[in-house]
Amino acid sequence: MPEQIPWLTVLTFSPLVGILVLLFLPKANSRALRTAAILTTLVPLVVSLWLFAQYDPSAQAGGIFVEQTPWITAALNSEALNGVASYVYEFQYYLAADGLSLPLIVLAALVATMAAFASVHINKRWKAFYIWFLLLETGMLGVFMARDLVLFFLFFELTLISLFFLIGIWGLFNREKAANTFLIYNGLGSAIMLIAFVLLIVTAGFQSVPDGEAMRLVYSGNYETIMANLADPAAYVNIPDAQANGSNPFFMSEGMRWLVFILIFVAFAIKLPVLPFHTWMLRVHAEAPPSVVMIHSGVLLKMGAYGLLRFGVFLFPQQADDAAYVIALLGVANILYGAITAFVQNEFKLVLAYSSISHMGIVLLGIASLNQIGLQGAVFQLVSHGLISALLFLIVGSLYERTGTTDLRELGGLARALPFMSGVLLTAGMASLGLPGLSGFVGEFLAFLGLFDSMKGVTAIAAVGVILTAVYVLRSVLKITFGPMSERYAALNDARLIEAVPMIALLAFILLLGVYPSILTDSMQHGFDRLFEQLNSRVGG
Amino acid sequence: MEPVTVYSQYAWLIPVFPLVSFIVLTAFGRGMRSAGMLIGMLGSLAALVLSVLVLLERMTNGDSPEYNYSFDWITIGDFQLNAGYDVTNLSALMLFVVSVVAFLVNLYSAGYLKEDERITVFFGYVALFTFSMLGLVLSDNLLTLYMFWELVGVCSFLLVGFWYTKPEARAAAKKAFIVTRVGDVGLLIAVLLLFWYMPEHDLSFAAIENVFGQTGTIAQGITTLIAILIFVGAAGKSGQFPLHVWLPDAMEGPTPISALIHAATMVAAGVFLVARTYSIFEASQAAMDTVAYVGAFTALFAATIGLVQNDIKRILAYSTVSQLGYMMLALGVGSLSGGIFHLFTHAFFKALLFLGAGSVIHAVHTQNIHEMGGLGRQMKITAWTFGIGALALTGIPPFSGFWSKDAILAVALDKNPFLFAVGILTAFFTALYMARLYFLVFAGKSGAAGKAHESPAVMTIPLVVLAAFAALSGFVELPWAGMGRLGAWLTGEEAAHSGSGLVLVVSTAIGLLGIYLGWLIYVKGAIPRDFISSRAPWLVRLLERKYYIDELYHAVFTVGLRASGRALDAFDTYIVGGAVRLISGAAVWAGRAGTRMQNGQVQTYGLWTVIGLLALILAIAGRRFW
Repeated sequence: MPEQIPWLTVLTFSPLVGILVLLFLPKANSRALRTAAILTTLVPLVVSLWLFAQYDPSAQAGGIFVEQTPWITAALNSEALNGVASYVYEFQYYLAADGLSLPLIVLAALVATMAAFASVHINKRWKAFYIWFLLLETGMLGVFMARDLVLFFLFFELTLISLFFLIGIWGLFNREKAANTFLIYNGLGSAIMLIAFVLLIVTAGFQSVPDGEAMRLVYSGNYETIMANLADPAAYVNIPDAQANGSNPFFMSEGMRWLVFILIFVAFAIKLPVLPFHTWMLRVHAEAPPSVVMIHSGVLLKMGAYGLLRFGVFLFPQQADDAAYVIALLGVANILYGAITAFVQNEFKLVLAYSSISHMGIVLLGIASLNQIGLQGAVFQLVSHGLISALLFLIVGSLYERTGTTDLRELGGLARALPFMSGVLLTAGMASLGLPGLSGFVGEFLAFLGLFDSMKGVTAIAAVGVILTAVYVLRSVLKITFGPMSERYAALNDARLIEAVPMIALLAFILLLGVYPSILTDSMQHGFDRLFEQLNSRVGG
Repeated sequence: MEPVTVYSQYAWLIPVFPLVSFIVLTAFGRGMRSAGMLIGMLGSLAALVLSVLVLLERMTNGDSPEYNYSFDWITIGDFQLNAGYDVTNLSALMLFVVSVVAFLVNLYSAGYLKEDERITVFFGYVALFTFSMLGLVLSDNLLTLYMFWELVGVCSFLLVGFWYTKPEARAAAKKAFIVTRVGDVGLLIAVLLLFWYMPEHDLSFAAIENVFGQTGTIAQGITTLIAILIFVGAAGKSGQFPLHVWLPDAMEGPTPISALIHAATMVAAGVFLVARTYSIFEASQAAMDTVAYVGAFTALFAATIGLVQNDIKRILAYSTVSQLGYMMLALGVGSLSGGIFHLFTHAFFKALLFLGAGSVIHAVHTQNIHEMGGLGRQMKITAWTFGIGALALTGIPPFSGFWSKDAILAVALDKNPFLFAVGILTAFFTALYMARLYFLVFAGKSGAAGKAHESPAVMTIPLVVLAAFAALSGFVELPWAGMGRLGAWLTGEEAAHSGSGLVLVVSTAIGLLGIYLGWLIYVKGAIPRDFISSRAPWLVRLLERKYYIDELYHAVFTVGLRASGRALDAFDTYIVGGAVRLISGAAVWAGRAGTRMQNGQVQTYGLWTVIGLLALILAIAGRRFW
C-alpha cells in the first residue's frame, strides 16, 4: 500500500464514514443497517491486521507507525517576558502504533466486528444503535493510538458517552440505573485523569523552543515530550531551581510525581477495574446488551490496563518500581476475590463479571513484575481475555435470546438441545481457566513467570487462583451444559450461521494465540525497551 | 556412535495421527457412525505402527544417542521457552504402551458403545486424548510436558462426563478436573522455580539431568522443594493420597475410558513424570522418602478400601490407586526400573481387567458384584481372560504382575524393611479383594442379574490380546543376574537382585494365601461373610465410607469455599456497594438541599444572601486574628 495514505487516521475514522452511510439507510431496515455496520467494521479490521503484519520491531525507530500534525495552538500571552518569548499551549493530532498498541488495536477491531455480528439480537432503533456503536469503535481505536494527552482524553470520553447511550437505551430492565452508575464512576475516573494530565502538561509538558530571535515557551500535551522530559535529568521538570530569582514553576517534586502517579493509577484502576472500584462494572455486565458487553469486557476494560502502562508505568518507572509490591498485592486480591465471589453467583453474567475482575488481577501481576516476561504476559493476557470474554458474552447473547434467562438455577443440560453452542461455551470456559493450547494459558503463565523472579511468595499465592478459576468456571459452565435438561428447552435451535461465524472466528484466534503465541510476543519484543532503559539506568546510577 | 534415528526423527508424527482423527471427527463427524469409528481407529492404528517401529529401533540401538528436536515456542528478550520432543528408551516404551492400549480400546469401544448416539463424539475425544498422552510422553522439556499434562486432564474430564445428562457424571467430571488441578498448581510452581534456578533457564529434561546429576549447582533446599512440588503434581494425576479422591468417582465414565485413561495411561503419567525428572529426586533424600512413604501408604490405604466396595469398577479403581502407590514406592526407594516395569505390566493387566469388567457390565447391566454370579459358564472368554488379569494383579507366577511386583518388593526389602512389610501386606489385601471380586462374579450360582451372553468378537479380541500381554510381559525383566533386560535398557545398568529368592517365595505365598482365604469365604463358605462386619461393624463402615475423606473434603473445602464466597458476596453488596451508595447518596442529598434553597421565594434568597455575606465577612475578618 502506498506510503502517503495516513493509515492510522483511516483506521481510526473509517467507522465515522460508516455512520454517514448509515444515515442514508431506511431506519426500519435492520438487515441493511446491520450489513452496513458489519462491512464498516471490516475496514479497521483489515487495516489493523495489515499494519500488524507490516510491523517490524527490528526496523529503524522500532518500526512504529506515526502520524503527527499540529492541531490546537493557543497563544497565552505573546508579550510576556518583553517579547523575548511567547507562551503557547500546543496540542497535536498525534497518532502512533507501536508493539504495545498494535495488538490492542487488532483486538479492538476484531471484537468490534464480532460484536457487530452479535448485534443481531438488538431489536429496536437499529440506526441509532449502530451509530453509537461505530462512534464507540472510533473512540477505542483512538485511545490505543493517541499520543497527545488531550487527544487521548477526547477519545477516552468518546467511548464513555457512546457506551452510556448504548447501555441506557438498549440494555435490560435496569438499564438506566446501570448507565448512570457507569457514567458517574467513569466520569469520576476521567476527572481524576484530567487533573493528572493537566498537572503533566504544565510541568513535564513544558519546553522552550527557539523561534527565530525569541523563544517559544510551549506547554505541550505531546506524550513523547512529556516522557522525554520526565526521564531527562537536565529538563526543567527535574531542576528544582532553574532560575536564581525564584523557584522553577515547572519543577515536579518527588511528592508531586507520586501524586500524579497515584492519580493516574486510580483513574485507570477504576476502568480496569481494581478492587474496590469494581461495583459499577457488575451492573454494566448484567444490564448492557450482550453485544455491547462484548466490547466493554473485551476491549474497554483493557483501556484501563493500557493507560496504567502507558501513562503510569512508562512515565513514572521509579514510582511503579517502588509500588510494585502494592500493585502485585492488589493483583492477588483481584484474583482471589473475583474467583471466590464468582463461585457463589447464580447469574451467569455476574459469574463472568467477577471472572473479569479475577483475570484482570493477572494483568496487575504482570505489570508488577516490571520485567520483560511479566509485562508481555500482562499484554498477552489483555488480548487473550479480550477474545475470551467477547466469546463468552457472544454465547450469553445467543443463549439469552433462546432461553430468556441466564440464571444458572434455571439452566441445565443444554448440550442436548444446543450441542454446538455448548461445545463452544465449554471451550471458551477452558480457555478462561487457562488450558494450555488456548490463549488464556500463555498470558497467565508469562505473568506468573515474570513475577516469580521478584516475588515468589506472592506468585505462589496467586497460583492458587488457578484452582479457584477451574472451580467457578466448571461450576457455571457445567450447570448450563451438563446435567438433566428441562423439557421447555427441548425445542431450542442451535446457533444460526450469523451467530456461528463470530464464534468460530473468535475461537480460531484463541486457538492460534494458544498454539503459536510468538505471533503476538514477537511484535511486542521492543515495546518495553525504553522502560527498561530507564529502570536499568536508575539501578546502575 | 552415530545415532540411529530412521524412525525416531518421525516420532512427532505419532501424536499427529490421532490429532488428525480428532480434527476430522470434530469438523465433519456429525451424522457419521461407522465411518467415525473407522477414522478414530485408523488414527490410533497408524500411531501404533510407528510406535512399534520406534520401539524396535530403540531396542536394537538402546545405547545410541537419543533423538531430540526442539524449537523456540516463545522468545522474550533473552529468555526462551522451547517446545520439542525427544525419543528416549523410556519414551519409546511409553509410546508403545499408550498406543497399544489406545488401539485396543478403540476397537473394543466399537462394540461397547455401538448403541450410543454420540459415538463419533466419543471417538473424537479418545483421539484427542491419545494425541495428548502421546505428546506428553514425547515432550523433551517440562513446560511442553505440562501443557500436554493439562490436555490429558481435560480429555479425562470430557470422557468422565461423557454421559453428561447424568448428574453423577457431571459431578465426577468436575471433581476429576479440580482435584487434579490442585496437583497441577504444584507442578506449575515447580516449573516456575526451575525456570529461574536452572542455568540459562533451560527446562529440558536433558539439562535437568545434567544439572541435578551433579551436586552443588542448585541448593539442597530448593532441590527438595522442586522435587516435592513435582510430586504434588504427580500425586494429583496418579491418584496418590490425599489427592486420590477423584479417581474412584471417575468410574462414572464409559468403561473403555476407565481402562484407557484411568488405569493404563493417564494415571500412570504421574509415575512417568517422577521418572522423567528422577535426577531431581535422587538429589534429595527427603523427596525420595516422601515419594516412598506416600506411595506405600496409598498402596495399603486403597487396598483396604477395595476390600469392601461392591461396584466392580470401583474395586478396580481402588486397586489402580493401590498399584500406582506401588510404583511410587518403587521410585521412592530408588528403583526407577522397578517403577517403570510395574507401570508397563500394570497397563496391560489393569486395562484387561477393566475391559473384562466392561464386558460383564455390557452383559448384565449392573455394576454391583452381589447381583452377578456364575458368569464363568456363560462368558468363557471374559472369565478366562479376566482370570489371567486377576492373577497378574495378585502377583502369582508366572504372570506379569508377579515379576514387576517382585522387583519392587526386592528393592524395598533392601532399602527399608518397613516399606517392604507394607508392600507385602498390601499384596495380601490385593489377593483377597481380587479373589472376592472374581469368585462373586464368575463362580457360584447366577445372581440377580440373570442370564448373560458373551460379548461380540470386537470386544473379546482386545481381551485376548491384553491377556497375552498380561501373561507374558513380565518376562522382559527377570530377577536373575543377566536377565534384567528392561532395567538395563532403561537405566543403563541392571538392577541388583539381592535376596530376591526370599521375596519370590514370600510374595507368592502371600498371594496364594489371600486367594485361598477368598475361596474359603466366597466359594466354600467355610468362613462366614459377615465374620468381620458382625464383630467390628465400625471398621467395615469406615472402609465402606472410604475413611470419610470425601466427607472431610466436602466439609472443609466445598463448604468453606462457599461460605467465604457468600461472605465476600455480602461484603461486595453491602460494604463496597454501601460505601458507593453512601457517597452517591451524599451527592444527591447535597443536590436536593441546593434545590430546596431555590424555591422561588425572594425572602429565602435574601436570607441566604445575608447568611453567605456574613460568612464571607467573618472569614475575611477572622483571618486577621489567626
